[in-house]
Amino acid sequence: MATDRIILAALALTLIATVVALAGCPQPPVEEPPVIDMPREPTGERPAGGGEGETIKVIGSTTVLPIATAWAKAYAEVAPDVSVNVAGGGSGSGIEALINGTADIGDASRAIKDSEMERARAAGVEPVEHVIAYDGIAAVVHPSNPASQLTLQQLSDIYSGQVTQWSEVGVDGVGEITVVGRDASSGTYGSWEELVVQAEDDTREYTVAMLQMQSNETVRSTVASTPGAIGYIGLGYLDDTVRTVPVVPLDGGDAVAPTEATVADGSYPISRELYMYTRGRPTGIIRAFLDWGMSEAGQKLVAEEGFVPVD
Amino acid sequence: MKKRVSRVWEWGIERLIQIAGILGIILVILIFFFLLRNSLPILRDFALADLLAGREWRPVREPPRFGMLPLILGSLYVTAGALVISIPLGVATAIFIAEIAPPRAREILKPAVELIAAVPSVVLGFIGLMVVGPWFARSFDDIPVGSFAALGSIMLAFMALPTIVSICEDALYSVPRALVNSSLALGATRWQTITRALLPAARSGLIAACLLGLGRAIGETMTVLMVTGNAAVIPRGLMGFLRPVRTLTATIAAEMGEAAQRSEHFFALFTIGLLLFVITFAVNTIADLIIRRSEKDIA
Repeated sequence: MATDRIILAALALTLIATVVALAGCPQPPVEEPPVIDMPREPTGERPAGGGEGETIKVIGSTTVLPIATAWAKAYAEVAPDVSVNVAGGGSGSGIEALINGTADIGDASRAIKDSEMERARAAGVEPVEHVIAYDGIAAVVHPSNPASQLTLQQLSDIYSGQVTQWSEVGVDGVGEITVVGRDASSGTYGSWEELVVQAEDDTREYTVAMLQMQSNETVRSTVASTPGAIGYIGLGYLDDTVRTVPVVPLDGGDAVAPTEATVADGSYPISRELYMYTRGRPTGIIRAFLDWGMSEAGQKLVAEEGFVPVD
Repeated sequence: MKKRVSRVWEWGIERLIQIAGILGIILVILIFFFLLRNSLPILRDFALADLLAGREWRPVREPPRFGMLPLILGSLYVTAGALVISIPLGVATAIFIAEIAPPRAREILKPAVELIAAVPSVVLGFIGLMVVGPWFARSFDDIPVGSFAALGSIMLAFMALPTIVSICEDALYSVPRALVNSSLALGATRWQTITRALLPAARSGLIAACLLGLGRAIGETMTVLMVTGNAAVIPRGLMGFLRPVRTLTATIAAEMGEAAQRSEHFFALFTIGLLLFVITFAVNTIADLIIRRSEKDIA
């Protein structure tokens, strides 16, 4: 008898759950993010950080990650009572975390999208942008690849799939091009699409044949082990396992190699700003942290990590 | 008095186990409805045929395209390859452990195979990405890059092995000894006994083991995400095994981080989840039915 009752109860529960689930269907369901949600005021502009315990949470772009990590480490000595927690996850995740309150600072290697801005405002958050460094994205090939330079148009042709053989861009003896890039959650993916793939033609898109890797390191290691590969990585990730190809800008002229100098003066065509976003104007410990990051000490770390300091 | 306490105790434990079992069923049902609810916005706006047979997966373009065909075929290639490798290997291992190996070898082999299941998938993925893949690319001219479908298959075969071996073994043990002994007594060799008496008798159990291995392989995420290259191309012919592909699971893992909550992309990823759920559910149900049949056969 007891068994029957329990089964009956289970069935009833299931039925209720079903009804509840289906009742929610007509509207887009509101899913709470799977992360721990910090309390937030509906008006936004909350005194960010102050009084929350002395922790700053920084989440976002894997490109910005080395800078954020270096800052957090050095800042522990500047302000021992403040701990800075840093996590990666991609630019989109960073802005998402900023909106839902999981992060105090959202890192991004691209500017916030209009759609993200709208959702932030709908949630009562006003994201404020801070340019913390400049970054160049380098085109890299296998060390044995003889390519001496590529034009921006050629790169666009390669990454949109118009061209599939190295001989079609004037490089002989390498064969088929293996196109390597980042996955869609990467800011670098978006920047490269905008600055290279769509350099001349907004309607172009990445070739589906592109290998989508999860990090700058995996792009580098794949290119380093694949003779016919081409990939792109942030300036800070260049090393001698891959060869950097100088790029000829759209308006012609000489090919420019990505270096701190050419990114800083704007002559390298594939460069971008790196951002940290805060909820409203930063105050308290968050402001102090960002001010320190923009100071000479913080910007020196930016350079040490292989990025280009602001000013 | 003592007897009564122990009876109450026993009753309590029984109910607890019962509740745990029922809870499991409820959770599965809830997960199904959670997936369904989050897939509805996509299922409403796009024709099912366009989703399942669409040739292009471009979730962040305007307008987005959610063609899952390359992903479905990617999963199919990687899983099929994994089964081709793991089924013969798994069944053979199970036969060896159950029938041929001396007791001492069995005592070492069985835990060793089960230990494979304890290797975290991210570790296998890392080994595939950094060691095995580049080695293949260096050694074979037909493989341009060290991330390709068959590499995922090899890694998955390794992961599906413990499942296949354990269940095959159970199936072999459940064959009545009298059957084996009478075959031997009639003068059959050991090989004849295994192929003509033992394997046919354990047939349903073996098939179920392979199906559960299939379920394990198709749902695996981390390893394939790392070693198959994630290019959403439609694989073609046998050469497709040597080219990068992207699976259903890897797509969810790679893109969930970027997909804005409650955007079309977000719901489309849930639709992939629903598809995976339906596939694994079907495979496991069939396996379960076959296991039951085999139990009946033997009884």
